[in-house]
Amino acid sequence: MNDTVTIQTRKFMTNGLLQLKQMVTDVLQLGKATVPKTEVQEKLAKMYKTTPDVIFGFGLRTHFGGGKTSGFDTSVDYAKKNEPKHRLARHGPYEKKKTSRKQLKEHKNRMNKVRGTAKANVGAGKKK
Amino acid sequence: MAAPRSPEMLESDLTSAVTLLKHLQEQVMAVTAQIQALTKKVQARAYPTEKGLSLLEVKDQLLLMYLMDLTHLILDKASGGSLQGHAAVLRLVEIRTVLEKLRPLDQKLKYQVDKLVKTAATGSLSENDPLRFKPHPCNMMSKLSSEDEEEDEAEEGQSEASGKKSAKGTVKKYVPPRLVPVHYDETEAEREKKRLERAKKRALSSSVIRELKEQYSDAPEEIRDAWHPHVTRQSQEDQHRINYEESMMVRLSVSKREKGRRKRASVMSSQLHSLTHFSDISALTGGTPHLDEDQNPVKKRKKIPKKGRKKKGFRRRR
Repeated sequence: MNDTVTIQTRKFMTNGLLQLKQMVTDVLQLGKATVPKTEVQEKLAKMYKTTPDVIFGFGLRTHFGGGKTSGFDTSVDYAKKNEPKHRLARHGPYEKKKTSRKQLKEHKNRMNKVRGTAKANVGAGKKK
Repeated sequence: MAAPRSPEMLESDLTSAVTLLKHLQEQVMAVTAQIQALTKKVQARAYPTEKGLSLLEVKDQLLLMYLMDLTHLILDKASGGSLQGHAAVLRLVEIRTVLEKLRPLDQKLKYQVDKLVKTAATGSLSENDPLRFKPHPCNMMSKLSSEDEEEDEAEEGQSEASGKKSAKGTVKKYVPPRLVPVHYDETEAEREKKRLERAKKRALSSSVIRELKEQYSDAPEEIRDAWHPHVTRQSQEDQHRINYEESMMVRLSVSKREKGRRKRASVMSSQLHSLTHFSDISALTGGTPHLDEDQNPVKKRKKIPKKGRKKKGFRRRR
C-alpha cells in the first residue's frame, strides 16, 4: 500500500479583488488518518515555492470511507490584508481580544445611563 | 486546337460564333447608350447621395472600380495579351474580398434599407409600420377640453374613436396585449386528472415499459455508457451541493432533514433490493399506486375551515 500523501489542486484562480490565489485542494492519503492542516500547508508551500505562513487552509473534509480529503486553500501574497480574522487566528499571527461578551454588554448598558463625556468614566463600574 | 473535328461541326461552330458576335455588338451598343444617359444624369447632379446610407455609397464605388478593372482585363485579353501577373487581377481579388466581407453588414441593414425604399416609393409610412402607433397629444386635446363642458358620452366616444383612427390610419388588424390576469379556478377533479397524467408519463419512462418497447421495436439497440443506472434525486442534489461548495469556496451546513434524506438514500441504494425494485406503473395498469421510498407522498389538500367566519359575517350584516 502506498503510504505517501499526495496533494492535488483544482479550480485554481487568482482572485484579483482580494489579491490572493484560491484553489480547491484534494489530499489523497491511502491507509492513513486525515492529514492535519499544517502538513497540507507545508506541502503546498513546497509546490508553489512560497513560505508556509502565507497559505491558509480551511474546510478540509474527509470523504466517506477514508482515503481522500477535499478542502479549500488560499494563498495570500500581500501582507495578509484580506484574510478573515478567524483564519489568521488559527494560523498564528492574529490574537483576538479576550473581553467576554457579557462584560461588553454590561459596559454598554452602564454607558447608556449617562450622557456626554461622562461615558468615558463609566469604566470604573467594571471593577466591581 | 481540338482533336479530330469533322468539317460540318466546324462550319456550325463558325456560324454560331458569327451570330454570337453580332449579338454582342448590338448589346454593346445598347449598353453604351444607357451608360451615356446615366453619366449625363449623374453629372447633372440628379442623384445626390450626401444624405444617404454611406454603406451603399461605398458599395457603389467598389462595384464601379470592379467593373473598370474587369473591362481593362477584357481589353487586354481581347488584344492578345496574357493575364499572368496582371496588376488588375490583384485589384479585382481585393475588391471582391471587401464586397464579400460587407455582405453580413448588408444583412443587418436590410430592414432599414427596405423601409427607406418603401417610404421613398409610396411617399408616406407603410400600413403596418409600428411608428404609426405613437401617441398623438393633439388628438387627445379635444377629449380634455370636452371634459369640462358636459358633453354626451356618445359624443366623447365618437371623438375618441375618430382620434384613434387618425392616429393609426387605415390599420386592419390590431392585436391587443395580454395583460389581464386569468382567474385560477382548478377544481379537485382537475387536480386529480393532472396528477394521473403525470404518473402516466412517469410510468411510461420506467424501466419495465422501456424494456418492453425495446423488445418489440425494430430499431437497433443503443448502449449508452454515460447514464448512471442508479442515479437518484439525492445523488443529483449532492452533486449540485458539491459544485456550489467548490465554486463559492464555502462549506454549507447540513440540516437534520437533509441528513435523514441522505441516510435513507444511501441505505436504499446500497442494498440489493433495488435490483428487484421496479418503479410504479399502476397509472397505466389501473391498480393501486405504491411509491418509491425517496419520493414524497402525495399531499392531499384539506379544506381548512376559516375560524370565526360565522361571527364576522353576522357582525357585518349589522
